[in-house]
Amino acid sequence: MSIYKKLDGKPTRLLEKIKENLERLNEKMDAMIEIQKHGQRVNPEIPDVLDVMTLLSLPDHLRKTAVTLCKLGEATAEEVAEQTKRARAVESGYLNQLVIMGYMKKERRGRKAYFYVEKEG
Amino acid sequence: MGKIIALHSYKGGTGKTLLSVNLAATYVRRGKNVCLLDLDFRAPSLHAVFKTKNSEYWLNDYLNGACEIDKVLVDVTREHGRSGKFFVGLANPATEAIREMSSKDRKWEMRALGRLLSLKTSLLNDMHHDYVIFDTSPGLQYSSINAIVSTDVALVVTSLDASDIKGTQRMTRELYDLFDKKTGIVMNKVLAEILSSKKEKQKFYKHFNSVHNLPILEAVPCFCDVLRAGGTYIFSEEKPEHPFTKTLDKLATKIEKL
Repeated sequence: MSIYKKLDGKPTRLLEKIKENLERLNEKMDAMIEIQKHGQRVNPEIPDVLDVMTLLSLPDHLRKTAVTLCKLGEATAEEVAEQTKRARAVESGYLNQLVIMGYMKKERRGRKAYFYVEKEG
Repeated sequence: MGKIIALHSYKGGTGKTLLSVNLAATYVRRGKNVCLLDLDFRAPSLHAVFKTKNSEYWLNDYLNGACEIDKVLVDVTREHGRSGKFFVGLANPATEAIREMSSKDRKWEMRALGRLLSLKTSLLNDMHHDYVIFDTSPGLQYSSINAIVSTDVALVVTSLDASDIKGTQRMTRELYDLFDKKTGIVMNKVLAEILSSKKEKQKFYKHFNSVHNLPILEAVPCFCDVLRAGGTYIFSEEKPEHPFTKTLDKLATKIEKL
């Protein structure tokens, strides 16, 4: 009820806030799954190199996402999903997985999350 | 929207450059705007075909991030154009440049992939080329795999040599399938007697379609005239009525339909 008051009682904003929080929760869960799989957290500060040999070693579903992001340079999960014709939530999961693996970086700008391999310049 | 076509092979000497150059010339004759790029940095060859004044920059410089692609392209329309425009991008043939390109690290290769991928926007969308043709280096090395990832259509040029056939089979299975590319096989230097009758030709195509599990787009016979020319001029341009030129014409049509 207090959040509802804080958001000036606007139900749409409340739903958006819930959605945003759920998405963050999903990302954290993805990270936990990945940590469990690999036994340790991959340090995102030291990114691995996403070259073609790495692309070849990725499983098919992640390779498609990674190649698409390489083509786009920088993109949101929605923009990647438009290209791959897969659901936004699916791409979001794959992109976050690639971030955890150290191949990509993620940056939040406002309410949107942008993924990129390397910043231009 | 145009297409990027890469010519690749498992082994060297299969005729990638000969076919790239003549395929480009075929599309130019059809009134298409074509851009031919030499991506074989270990053994550059297009500079020998296009005896034109070199541009100030090479494709090596573009991949190094030292310039944009328009600075690399040389307009050869006056010498080689027919109804379409013809541009070439050359690889630096100097020994020092070849050595430098073979000692790049993974991070550089990752950036080079990004720059090759962005050619789709710059050459096809912004500069309105109908076809961009990549003449790549053979085998499974960074520069050729980068080129394949960046292409729309991949043509694998193979001979009838047993090791080439085996290698090509493995390469298409382990590389092309993974990147989900439109791929076709071009069998080059095929003995003319194998293709002598329609029946023999059909048998040949059927056999190799199943060997490679990919469509055989064309079987290019081995012509002494072409060998004699030694790549000193664009054969299909000089000999428009030669059977080699006609074969390339059929190949160009099949690629358009892919």
